[in-house]
Amino acid sequence: MASLKRSVDPGTVGSNISSKVYVRSTKSGKVQKIVREVYLRQDIPCSSRLCQACLKSAPRDAAGRPTPFVLSEQPAGTREFPQGHYLVPDTNAFLTAMDLFEQSSAFYDVVVLQIVLEEVRNRSLPLYNRLISLTKSEDKRFYVFFNEFRLETYINREDGESVNDRNDRAVRKAVKWYGEHLARSAARKAQKAPAVVMLSNDRDNLRKARAEGLPACSLAEYVNQLKDGERLLDMIPETQDREVTEGKKKPGEHLYPEYFSMSKMMTGVKGGVLHQGIFNVSPYNYLEGSIRVPAFPKALLILGRENINRAVDGDLVVVEVLPKDQWKEPSTQVIEEEAMTKNENPDTEEGSDLVSEKERKALQEEVKRTQAQKTEGHPIPTAKVVGVIKRNWRQYVGHIDQSSVSQSSQQGRKQDTVFVIPMDKKIPKIRLRTRQVAELVGKRILVTIDAWDRDSRHPVGHFIRSLGELETKAAETEALLLEWDVQYRPFPKTVLDCLPKEGHGWKVPESKDDPGWRDRADLRDLLICSIDPIGCQDIDDALHSRPLPNGNFEVGVHIADVSHFVKPNNAMDAEASIRGTTVYLVDKRIDMLPMLLGTDLCSLKPYVERYAFSVIWELTPDADIVNARFTKSVIKSREAFSYEQAQLRVDDESQQDDLTKSIRTLLALSRKLKQKRLDAGALSLSSPEVKVQMESETSDPIDVKVKQLLDTMSLVEEFMLLANTSVAAKIYEAFPQTAILRRHAAPPKTNFDELGNQLRVKRGLELNVESSRALADSLDRCVDPANPFFNTLVRIMATRCMMSAEYFCSGTQAYPEFRHYGLASDIYTHFTSPIRRYADLVAHRQLAAAIEYEAVDPSVRSRGKLEAVCKNINVRHRNAQMAGRASIAYYVGQSLKGKETIEDGFVIKIFSNGFVVLVPRFGVESLIRLRDLHDPEPQAEYDAENYVLKTSGSREVTVELFQKVRVRVTDQKDESTGKRGVKMDLVDTYGR
Amino acid sequence: MSSQHVLLSPAELSYLHASLSLQPLPLRPDGRSPTQFRPLVAETGILPGTNGSARICFADGTEAIVGVKAEVERTVQPFTQDTQTTQDEGETPAEDERRKEEVGGSDWVEMTVEIPGYRDDDPTTVFLGQMLQEALLADGEFTKRLRINGRFHWKIYLDILLISPPLSYPLPLLSLTTHLALLSARLPRLKSEGDEDPLFDDDWAASTYVYPRDNNKKDGKDGNNKVVARPPVTLLVMAVGNNIIFDPAREELAVADVALAVSVGEETTTTTTQTGGDDDVDMEEGSTPGKRRLRLLSVRTIDPPSRLTPPGVPNATNTAYTAPTGTAEAKTQDGARTLETERVEGVWKAPRGGAKVMVMAALVAKVLEKGGVADEVLDGLEAVDLG
Repeated sequence: MASLKRSVDPGTVGSNISSKVYVRSTKSGKVQKIVREVYLRQDIPCSSRLCQACLKSAPRDAAGRPTPFVLSEQPAGTREFPQGHYLVPDTNAFLTAMDLFEQSSAFYDVVVLQIVLEEVRNRSLPLYNRLISLTKSEDKRFYVFFNEFRLETYINREDGESVNDRNDRAVRKAVKWYGEHLARSAARKAQKAPAVVMLSNDRDNLRKARAEGLPACSLAEYVNQLKDGERLLDMIPETQDREVTEGKKKPGEHLYPEYFSMSKMMTGVKGGVLHQGIFNVSPYNYLEGSIRVPAFPKALLILGRENINRAVDGDLVVVEVLPKDQWKEPSTQVIEEEAMTKNENPDTEEGSDLVSEKERKALQEEVKRTQAQKTEGHPIPTAKVVGVIKRNWRQYVGHIDQSSVSQSSQQGRKQDTVFVIPMDKKIPKIRLRTRQVAELVGKRILVTIDAWDRDSRHPVGHFIRSLGELETKAAETEALLLEWDVQYRPFPKTVLDCLPKEGHGWKVPESKDDPGWRDRADLRDLLICSIDPIGCQDIDDALHSRPLPNGNFEVGVHIADVSHFVKPNNAMDAEASIRGTTVYLVDKRIDMLPMLLGTDLCSLKPYVERYAFSVIWELTPDADIVNARFTKSVIKSREAFSYEQAQLRVDDESQQDDLTKSIRTLLALSRKLKQKRLDAGALSLSSPEVKVQMESETSDPIDVKVKQLLDTMSLVEEFMLLANTSVAAKIYEAFPQTAILRRHAAPPKTNFDELGNQLRVKRGLELNVESSRALADSLDRCVDPANPFFNTLVRIMATRCMMSAEYFCSGTQAYPEFRHYGLASDIYTHFTSPIRRYADLVAHRQLAAAIEYEAVDPSVRSRGKLEAVCKNINVRHRNAQMAGRASIAYYVGQSLKGKETIEDGFVIKIFSNGFVVLVPRFGVESLIRLRDLHDPEPQAEYDAENYVLKTSGSREVTVELFQKVRVRVTDQKDESTGKRGVKMDLVDTYGR
Repeated sequence: MSSQHVLLSPAELSYLHASLSLQPLPLRPDGRSPTQFRPLVAETGILPGTNGSARICFADGTEAIVGVKAEVERTVQPFTQDTQTTQDEGETPAEDERRKEEVGGSDWVEMTVEIPGYRDDDPTTVFLGQMLQEALLADGEFTKRLRINGRFHWKIYLDILLISPPLSYPLPLLSLTTHLALLSARLPRLKSEGDEDPLFDDDWAASTYVYPRDNNKKDGKDGNNKVVARPPVTLLVMAVGNNIIFDPAREELAVADVALAVSVGEETTTTTTQTGGDDDVDMEEGSTPGKRRLRLLSVRTIDPPSRLTPPGVPNATNTAYTAPTGTAEAKTQDGARTLETERVEGVWKAPRGGAKVMVMAALVAKVLEKGGVADEVLDGLEAVDLG
């Protein structure tokens, strides 16, 4: 009987078929054995320019040309490999030191084995993407070699061999083959073949490779051979380093409890016993985190290091609710990691106890306090982290904690361990080993977290690069862009290639027969003008109005026709959808679209013809809409006003030209529109906004001004809201499933619990949050005759209780959920700023399709795609706001530098050991701790129910919520974050 | 119900019957000894996509392939909580439930038999499948192996294919093939613990055998150490006259007085002896340690085709042989009666009546005999490389 079995004997010559067997578990719980046949071939080239043999047999494209070979003919040499070398890293080398490979000073001519690439993808998608972009970059010369498909380099797994061992062997086999192959090719050319060096941090793998006579290095060994090795050494992650060199760490007692197994967590979550959510750290107390889980309406509290159990802000974790006797109240204390763990020595993990003495003390205080006021204590359910589903670690900007640097390391070049304090207070200190302490101290640096072991109190990370001196404009700006994940690199060439070839010379075609004129209304004769902030270059919108014979008015809003220039699914569109929004910093703008479009071709500049997308209404004198129409158009703006100019012109009675009259009409209509909106329950919220004035030459900040509100701003705003609402209704009608809309969910009542209670206790005011209307009314009632700012203050605090508005795809929500709470509008979208927001661009495309101007592009019809777009732009939008605010805060700090001012402020938050004061003049808030009041620190009594903090002893003051206080504002470099910020000192409490 | 019809004349049947009943040893048409099996060739792991597979070829040209596929299935937990809370005396269902959870249900195994030329709902096919399944489930050990945890189990699909025309009654062939396929069957290694949703190792090399093996192979000397436990085998035994014949060929079966399918399992050395319920007879032979202890799992009588064969006509009653006389009429009637009752030497007559208890006991005893056929078969199968 002839055997039916396919021969599995790897030895047989010419057997070019093999198979791969594995188990696949599907989402639905099916478990399948999968057998994949692997057909081995011999025409996969080595891609070395040295090699002629491979060039001959390499597969060719349709034109008969082989893909150009990647690896250099004369690769760079090192000390040990003077003849030049190619690198073949294993998986761990990439996983742990991707930053090294991205260096431009070294790491050229790298062979990325297929098996390594696959493993990297399975382990970390972000790293995989970085590796892929490396292989695509032409100057780095990274080549993906499909070793698993090349007959000579394919190996079968042996009996009893683990997958990892087999893959390591495959790497060695490939290295060996490359070595021999190149030697042969070089011999033919009578040249010296470059060494093929395996890079690995696995001791066993290195040993085996050396036993086989293959050139192999650990990362550290290799980097040492390079010229700027010292610097690069720091990028080799800490843990790996230890693994290779000594591995001395005793498996002693663990500081943190062990995580549950993945299956246990999944079963628990499915069974409702465990809960999954995103872990958030309180900005005031680094030992307190909260997690919102779908099962409960309110967030669960996670208190203390042990319960937080190595979770870092943003991680997707699984928690277990603690027994009731461990439920607590959220802390009323400010606890900053900096102050608590100041004198820790990063070198030794001595004392091995998890909670430091000071932390313990803080906890005792806590208990005392909780037990002191049994009456009103609502303990909140607490939980502990039992596992992490997905780490959300990114690169963090920070600086080295000066106090963690030992004296000796200031000079020497030996490796030293220091703490890095991230700029984001919610991120724990990161332990870092570096050889360049002396250089890095006082710099903004970028680090990443590598691991957080059970027996290490702090996470361990490694250095990536230095951004520059602390407090230099460049470093700080880059730092905050990195911190908020703003894409700030220049546009790649592929994007710029999508721009019109004419460049700045592009004009609206003269002839109306041009395809650009197809279905466009000619609105060039209308008196259109734009009103924007001073110095605005990317003019998105322009307006016009004119009386109609029937007594009504025609009002037009004209928006830059960006979708004409940015076609779906090209490189520019992809880049814009990733950036999501333009980011405005005080001194800088990070554009979503290339300059040419944003500030010229799309921008509705005055006196030139531009393509636009117009919304034209007929409004009655009472501002009721008679009809609305949407059309692509060509316009010619008559003037670009600033808000101030427009205001002056309107106010100037002598100006009686048509343009001014039309602005006056618009203004009158906008007031009516606003009144209607407010009647419907729109909220007028507030946030302290300031503007930094810069010296024009040096762009150094000279003054901070509170933003003024002008009527003309409200004019523009009202018509933009009107346009957005009209467009939203139109695209929803056309695409009920896929319209891109913006919603603002009604905030849960519990969000207002605290503010409502505070108002009731302190002012006897009721906050009605039944509806947005009721809230608006009760906010209106919050007035304190003695304190005109009080109303604004309450509005600012109410704003913080709100949910944030979000983009969504109409198919994902029910119609009642579309509501925009703040604007009291049933449906809303963003349409009016396509130059700076991607959502608007999508809305433009959808509207164009809705009015049958163009065919529906699949990308604006695919719900899955749109949902991904919405998710991204929601994040980008928030980050852009945060970055903008951070930029203002930085400049406010800079403008105060060396100055001292006494200002009025208001207490907006009280802790048992400090309080937060908001100074509207600068739009800043700052914490005043008890210990800042006087030295020695005064005793304090905190009445949590009445929000009163009474100090005694060295200084006697009484501070209560909403109180007006006088503070001295100075600048101070925040030791913990390295940011220059304001420091406030209490001067006067106005009679208290 | 029986196997297949044979096209033998009464005279041929009679001849066969006579030679098979010879004492002391029967004379089999193919010259085998009464306990000798047809030579066979076997291999496992021929179907890479299955969890386990095997193929056996008998020397007469019959050939079978068996594939084992496994699927994770949620264990049905009928009304555990509800019934107990609503009816307090619900003692028995709960207990029943617990038993099922431990032992597993018969629906955890699904067997399909395919024989060329037969519909899949043909009684022969169904009966064969049932017989094999019954044997597999009878020891209660097999389904225990399929339990993943309290909430999940593996469901096993056994696809049994006869790929040659059924030249002889295929039961022994199918049973042996199934046995080998199950021996080579592997399941992904479980990574989760307790009653969690099961999570498996995606490394096939780490998968575990359904019938676990001793890792340190002791040269197979101790026999039992190689494979700790084995699935049952079903043997076909028949009796002709006073002879007991194993693995009958098609012609032999055509003259069988009694044919039995006997399923034999192997007592695992680790588990304690369990007295089977109902029709399971616990025959414990040879308690010498290290030796195989066989256990009878089930017995089925097979209706041999011999019962449907046409009888031969004795010379005495053959009108073509004797001259027609006046009394011929009466004689023929007599002859017809004797045909019903008497047995004439050399004239074929289909066996009548059920199997005698004594004969059955003898057959079963012969199967379970120490060092007997079952032992021999299992030894033979042990030699198959299960890679």
